[in-house]
Parts: sequence; structure tokens; C-alpha cells
Amino acid sequence: MDVSFSAPQRQSPVGVLVLFFYTLQKNARAFWPLIVVYAFKFKELNILYLVTGIVLFLILIGVISYLKYRSFTFFLDAEKDEFIISDGILNKTKTAIQLDKIQQVNINQSFIQKLIGVYELHVDTAGSAKKEGHIKAISHEVALELKSRLLDQSALKISQDLDMNLNLADKEAAATEAPFVTIGLLSLLKLGITSNYGKTIGLIIIFGSTIYENFRKFSETDSAYQEQVNSYVDKGLASQSLVIGFAFVLAGVLVLNIARVIIQYYGYTITRQKNSMLLSYGLFNSKSTILKPEKVQITTIKRNFFQKKLGILELRIRQATSGTAEDRKSIIEIPGCSDLESSSVLQLLYDQIPEKGLSLKPNFRVLAVALLLFILLPVLLFYAIGAWVEPVAFDFAYLVPIYVIFIGLLQYFKFKNNRLFIHDNFIIKQSGGWDISTAIIEPHKIQAVTTSQYFWHKKLDLGSVILHTAGGTISFQMGNFSILKSKVNLWLYRMEKSDSNWM
Amino acid sequence: MQNFSNEIIDTDLLPKYEEVIFTKLHPKYLFVVAIKVAILIITLITAPFIYLYFEPDGFSGKISFLLGLMSPFVFLFIVLFALLSFRKKGFAFREHDVLYRYGVLATNTIIIPYNRVQHVALHEGFIPGFFGLAEIEIFTAGGSSSDIQIPGIEKEQAENIKQLLMVKIQKQL
Repeated sequence: MDVSFSAPQRQSPVGVLVLFFYTLQKNARAFWPLIVVYAFKFKELNILYLVTGIVLFLILIGVISYLKYRSFTFFLDAEKDEFIISDGILNKTKTAIQLDKIQQVNINQSFIQKLIGVYELHVDTAGSAKKEGHIKAISHEVALELKSRLLDQSALKISQDLDMNLNLADKEAAATEAPFVTIGLLSLLKLGITSNYGKTIGLIIIFGSTIYENFRKFSETDSAYQEQVNSYVDKGLASQSLVIGFAFVLAGVLVLNIARVIIQYYGYTITRQKNSMLLSYGLFNSKSTILKPEKVQITTIKRNFFQKKLGILELRIRQATSGTAEDRKSIIEIPGCSDLESSSVLQLLYDQIPEKGLSLKPNFRVLAVALLLFILLPVLLFYAIGAWVEPVAFDFAYLVPIYVIFIGLLQYFKFKNNRLFIHDNFIIKQSGGWDISTAIIEPHKIQAVTTSQYFWHKKLDLGSVILHTAGGTISFQMGNFSILKSKVNLWLYRMEKSDSNWM
Repeated sequence: MQNFSNEIIDTDLLPKYEEVIFTKLHPKYLFVVAIKVAILIITLITAPFIYLYFEPDGFSGKISFLLGLMSPFVFLFIVLFALLSFRKKGFAFREHDVLYRYGVLATNTIIIPYNRVQHVALHEGFIPGFFGLAEIEIFTAGGSSSDIQIPGIEKEQAENIKQLLMVKIQKQL
């Protein structure tokens, strides 16, 4: 085996077996309905046909996996510092990965690989997870050697990443410095009462409607019993008990909400370290995370009307992610902090308080489209169902005005709050009807820009822009396209002029 | 910080991405599009017949009539859409970034600066490979929504583009 990896080389020959099992697994999954059908018709089957079929199938899989093995090669291009993987029998793919863009190299062994005695090697870059280097079957020595060769170049990056993994010494050092943000029980209580309204209302509606439904069924089926009940319980009492039940549900959900927030975030403190922040929180199992300002991609401030009155807000910080699976992990939430605390966090993250700068409004067509989609269409659908399918629907017609007013107001506020602020150092997107969120990015954290314009908006000079960062996207629809285009040109110029560190 | 300057930038003088002239996809790629559309239409035509074969009374006369009446328009629509989509696609490599334009109803332009490219892949699909065409895929750290896939480039040119990109990426380091 060539340990220098300078020439294209294949996986371990026994790796054909691994490929065979993987291909078999994949195809068996696709064919399982067929297998089920055969299993039921087993008696009618000609055994000879079945056996020949299975044998042919296995031979075919074997040939495919051999071809897969033959066509899969990998090598290190020392001149260009690239790791190159070629793959595919008919659809050929050649992937080139710059060595210094490699974030992680993982060596794993699945059950099948363990049986055969080979290892798989994953090469992880900061890009999307799906098409990165994945070698399915190599021996342990080759895997280790390749890993060290791959990481030679990116040693610097890895050592940075290692700091992320906290060790005890760090924690002790942090403990000596006083936390600069401490979120007290009161703030958490406030947050518990005021957040997650959508979920709470949804739960109440589901709960209420099931009770109502059961009550109605009950009274329909057993009228004799109902009379009896009526004689005991007059109507006033019944409605009273309904109100009490409702209040119970409301209180229950609130208590649950508060409990969830407190268990998750009790004793939330943020301590300043050299160039980063140490966050620790949690009632039962306390967690700590290190937050590095240069890794931050998007910061979102979220607050609703009540939270504004109570003087609290929620901060969500998204760091650079590698792959979608880790998306959830990389969101850091700072719940229920005051304006002052949030400013000090932002100050630490950005060296200044983000300024809003030029403000862009969306065209009124955004509101018109939203009203069309969320009011006109559902209402028309409702009446159509009532008229042609199920006349019972009209029994609920009294809900239509409530729906129209509620959703109409929500969409109106959504439109009113929808803003894009462009400052030299910050791009801020404000959105939301009830929960108003303000997402902040720095122009040099942008990875790619998409602009988009419908052909019927050309004359109106309306268009959209999507800014892709390593922590998610920010988009703004139907704004003044001339201004957006000139801003895009400016951002591109800034990004391309210097190699700013986005991570 | 000594050599830091912060002059006012005249935004009107900046290079404008919207004035870039795009390179169209290779004309041979139209064959690939045609084959894909043909496969789609053939499947759409045969599906009801297969259904009828197993279930002879599957459709009432009215539904068959409607299907027969509508299918030419649907097929025409599919062909037109594919044609327009082919015509609208284009790419451009500037000194510092790569642009890709696509979309029928909306014209989308995605721009990736070379210093944000993570890696590059070259795909040779079976059908496009038959016509000597390849596809370039450019990855950034922004996830799949910000990756560019440019189909319908001649194999040799695609290889050159990949080399160019790799050189550009390296220069940025």
C-alpha cells in the first residue's frame, strides 16, 4: 500500500464486501414492498424461479459493488494541497477538497465494517454535509496515516477547535472572574409567562375542542342520562365549570412553560474570558458553552409586546455550523436578559452596539400577497367546502370573522415590522407579527448572495435579496431593487477586497 | 491598525453584477434537457395506461375525455418551461467571484466570491457525459442553499474551470 497517497489509490480489497453489504442494504430497502408481496404469495411461487431470481439479484449487486470499488479512488495532490476523491460508475464525480479547509477527520467503524475489519473515514469541511469526503473501507493503519496527513495542513484550525472543548482548568480560571451577566429567577419567570404563546394557544384549542366533542357525543348518545344530569346540574353551573376547566388548562400550561424555562436556564451566567464568553446554565444538569465572537454568524433579538413592557428579551446566537445535523446544537440562547445586559453582550460580540443605518421597507404587495394567501384563499376554501362538500361547515361560520380579524391583524403587524436596515458594519433584518425578531449579521460574514426578481416586477423595480451565512440566511422580499443591487455590489466589493476572517 | 484607512466608497463606481454578460449553457445541453423532458412525458402518458391495464374500469368516460383534452396543453407547458429554463441559465466568472443565473418566473442570480469557496466538484452524469458535457458544483460554508450547480459545460472547459477555481481559492489563502 502506498502510504504517501500521492497516486490515486483504491480502498482495501476486502472493502468490496462492505460495499456489497451497503448496496444490498440500500436495494433491499427499495425492494421491500416486493418482498412482502412474495412472502404472502409464497405457496404459489415456483421455488426455482425464486432462487434463480435471488441469485441473479445477488450477482448483480456483487457486480455493482465491484464496479463501485473499482471506480472509487482517492489521493493527495501534494502540489496543490488538495485531497481528491473520484467516485461513480456511470455518473462520475470528482471532489477536490483544499487541505486547509478541512475541519475534522473522523474514523468510524459500523457493525458491518467491524465484521470485515475495515474502517471508514469522514472528511468534514465547513460546507454542506452531503457531498464531503467519505471513504467507506480502508484498513486502520491507512486510516490513521491518511488522517494525520490530512490534518497536517489544517493543524492550526484544529487546535483552535480544540479550545472549544472545555477543560477543567478553563472552568476554574473562569470561576475567579465575576460573571458580567446573571439572569435571575425573576427574569426567567417573566420569560416563562410571556413566551411560547402559539404553542400554549394551540394546546388550549386542541384540549378544549376534544372536551367539547366528547361532551356533545356523550349528550347525543345518552339522552336519558343527560336529562338526569340536567336535573342535577343546571346550565349556569355547566358553563361555570367549563370556564374553570379553561382556567385550569391555562394555568397548567403557564406552569409547565415556567418550569421548562427554569429547569433549562436556572442560574444563567455569562463570564468574560480572554477573547470569548463562557456561558453556564441549567438546574439539574448544568451546561457550559464557550462562545467565540469571531465564530458568531447571526445574532437574533426576540421579544414580544409583553416582554417589551416587562423589560426582557431573548438573544439567539448562531455560530458557524458544519452540516445540518449540528444546526440545533450551535444555537446559543440567552433567555430573559435586560436591555442593558443584551447591549453588553452585543458590545462584546461586535465591539460596538449594532446600528441600524439605512432603512428599507417592503412594497405593499407583500401585505396584499399575505392577505390573499392567508385570508382570501382559506375563507374561499371554507365556503367552497360548505357549499359543495360538507354543509355542516356552515355551523362554524361564526369563526370566520374572528379568523379574518386575528390573521389580518397579525399579517398587518408582520408587514409593518418587516424592515431591512443597512449600515456599513451591520445588516439587520426585523420581522414578525407578535414575536418581533431582529437578526443581525456583519457584511463580511456573508458567504454568498442571491438576488431574485419576478419578471412582472421589473418595471416596478422590486426584487428580493438572500444573504447566505454559515449560520443561516437572511432574506428580504420585494424591496427597492436598485438600492438592493447597489448594496449587493458594495458588499461584494468589501468581501472580495480583503480576506476578512468569517470564522 | 496603522495602515488602516476608511475612505468613502462611491457606490456608483463599483463593478455592477447586474451588468455582467453571462455565458449561456452549451447548446448540446438542450439534447440532455430534451431527453429528460421526453422521459417525463413518456412516464406521464404511460402511467394512466398501466393503471387502466390493471383496472379496466378505472376512469369514467368523462375523466378520460378531460385527460385527453388537457394533456397536450400540460405537455406543451412542460416543454416550454424546460426550454425557457434552459435559455435563462447562464454563468460568469469574474476576477473575484462566480455568478450563476437561473429561473423562469423569477430571475435569480447567485454570487459567490472565490474567497468563500470551500471546495469544488465535477460531475459527469451518464446522459450529459454521452454528449461530452459535465457539471460543476461549487460549495460554500453557507449550506446547500448557497451552493452553485452549473450544468451543461463541455468536459474540457469544466476541467479548466475547476483548475481556475482551485487556483483562485489558493490565491486567497
